[in-house]
Amino acid sequence: MRRPPRWNLALGAVLLLLAALVALPFWFVLTGSIKVPAEIIARTPTIVPESFTLQHYAKLLAASDYPVYMLNSLVVATISTAITLILAIPSAYAFFRMSFRGRETLYRAILLAYAFPSIVILIPLFGIFAKLGLIDSRLALVLVNVAFALPFAIWLLRSFFAGIPVEIEEAARLDGGPPFTVLRRIMIPLVAPGIAAVAVFAFVTAWTEYVFASVMILSDAKRTVPVGFSGIIGQYQIDWGLLLAGASLSILPVVILFAFVGRWFVAGLTEGAVK
Amino acid sequence: MTTDRRSRLLAGAALAATLPLGAAAQTELTLWHMEQPPHRVERVQTLLDEFNESHPDIEIRQEPQNWGEVYAKAPAALAAGAGPDLLFAIPDFTPILKGMGALDDVGDFVEELDAEHDFIDAAVEAYSYDDGVWAVPLYNMSMNLWYRPSVLEDAGIDVPETWEDWRSAAEALTTDGTYGMGLPANRQLYTDQTVYSVMTNGGASEIYDEEGSLRFDTPETVGAYAFYDDMLAFSPPDAPSWTWGEAEACFASRACAMILQFSVISTYDTQAEGDPADLGVAAIPSKDGETHNTIAYANAVMLLSRDEEKLEASKTFVRWLLQPENYGRFLNMEPGLFMPVTADGAEADSFWSDPIVETYRDQIETVIENSRNGMLFGFTSGRVFPAIAAISAQNVLAETLQSIAVSGEDPAQAVAAGEARMQDLTD
Repeated sequence: MRRPPRWNLALGAVLLLLAALVALPFWFVLTGSIKVPAEIIARTPTIVPESFTLQHYAKLLAASDYPVYMLNSLVVATISTAITLILAIPSAYAFFRMSFRGRETLYRAILLAYAFPSIVILIPLFGIFAKLGLIDSRLALVLVNVAFALPFAIWLLRSFFAGIPVEIEEAARLDGGPPFTVLRRIMIPLVAPGIAAVAVFAFVTAWTEYVFASVMILSDAKRTVPVGFSGIIGQYQIDWGLLLAGASLSILPVVILFAFVGRWFVAGLTEGAVK
Repeated sequence: MTTDRRSRLLAGAALAATLPLGAAAQTELTLWHMEQPPHRVERVQTLLDEFNESHPDIEIRQEPQNWGEVYAKAPAALAAGAGPDLLFAIPDFTPILKGMGALDDVGDFVEELDAEHDFIDAAVEAYSYDDGVWAVPLYNMSMNLWYRPSVLEDAGIDVPETWEDWRSAAEALTTDGTYGMGLPANRQLYTDQTVYSVMTNGGASEIYDEEGSLRFDTPETVGAYAFYDDMLAFSPPDAPSWTWGEAEACFASRACAMILQFSVISTYDTQAEGDPADLGVAAIPSKDGETHNTIAYANAVMLLSRDEEKLEASKTFVRWLLQPENYGRFLNMEPGLFMPVTADGAEADSFWSDPIVETYRDQIETVIENSRNGMLFGFTSGRVFPAIAAISAQNVLAETLQSIAVSGEDPAQAVAAGEARMQDLTD
């Protein structure tokens, strides 16, 4: 059935508005990072840059510890994501497949982790980590990130497992596959889009985590991007060019992750749609 | 080789191996400061490298922190035994660490340094209470009125001296797209500082009376708040969310004709025209135009180590840092923002020979002159009320302004509510 032209027009307008809402802040940050300082701080912002400079990037990379912060963030976010996946996949499968008393209660209870604002548990957790000798270590951040990402990851993956026709799993079991083999060979490939979504979620959560990273890490050499960067931009004086260059670079790893995993994610969804 | 001989040889080798280690034993210190912008960290590192090289028995490393987190982080780290040996502070941060028993009296040490360098009295007073001195003053900051002479001249306006002049100037300079005055109204430290700068010039500098009771709710305070609210009419519409950086950007971009700020020199020099002849700085106008006060406070360093060797090494570093040839370079980690707290520091070649300081020497001399009438709420008239730390931490001065400027409350009612809130926080 053909849609009337005015319906197409309305849809197009909504899409355009949505694209503008999402893209405009990025546009201002990215283009701002290549403007000269006077143009950045001009009261009336220029949408198309009237100047071009890479001085802010040069300063950021040469005069600050930004590259160290980026490396730390990459290490912490990557390891946090890997551990989240390693724990979430079998846990979600267990919640989906295993029958035990209190399964539904436990499944719902794990989301209680999100009931507490992180600031509330910050100081008690600091005390515990201090006793364990984990203060000022990246491991502390990995543990915190995994603890916060895991509940949602389990929820999300379980729903992906639940979406797989039961006949597929039964056929694999009839062929004599033990549960771990069925999970590894049959189920994981089928829930690949879910795993991709969880990976993106866990990575972005770890990449942007600020509260714990700001308190648990004491030394400059172990800081992650959000904390190290907030210091670079200063308090009494703000170097706006440095701020915009840092913000632009900080989204790079997430964009790259989306470029790789997102493609797989979309491909998986499409495959599922035609089966 | 017999087992006995081999054992003796091994023991001898082990002893020999420990000898050089013992001779090279170093006292390692950690310094936390909140001067995180890269150029400040770099300057501090240059000085630390020089110190470490000239004092082979001591090694200091810096760990820059953020003002936003240090209020929670430092007490937690100290409680966990992971805190620094030296920590920079401002007057209302010090009572927090003193309250948890982390500070020892450094009065004798400050006296020794005072005899050699002559501290500004107010700088030491802010850290002197409860029969002790709790930190060593290091660098001063004071709020000033910044303006562009060319803008005022074009409008035929003199630099304002009284509140009346100030209001008229702000009104006249507010034209299409530009604002006469940039004042914040955010619930944040910057607003605390600008509000108090106006209060001190309206006869409301004392938040406590001589007995230590709150006396915030006075006609002078109400008058100061009402005046500030009037002036907000000549500020940009986004000013209620400003911190220091936004105010500076407004000034540097010529959108604000005047602002209150510690210093704009660095931003003006690097992000605006950088013409020293067109950068004006003056004392903050006062109600009657007679005495011009301002908010000012000295940053200091707290010596936190309880280990005798580390404490002595910390003192050695502070002694070294306050030597004029080092001290000027330390202050110029941010030229034009940090001012000396010692008499010989104020004359040091290392301070005045910095290229930026040379360029803006007139402005910097005015800033130093203005800071002589500096004060800080809760630390006035030689009396210190440590309970001010709670009031400061909650930004009650700014919160009171928000009640007037954002919620439209009557200034008298808002100030009365502000005093009640202060009372609650300090009871």
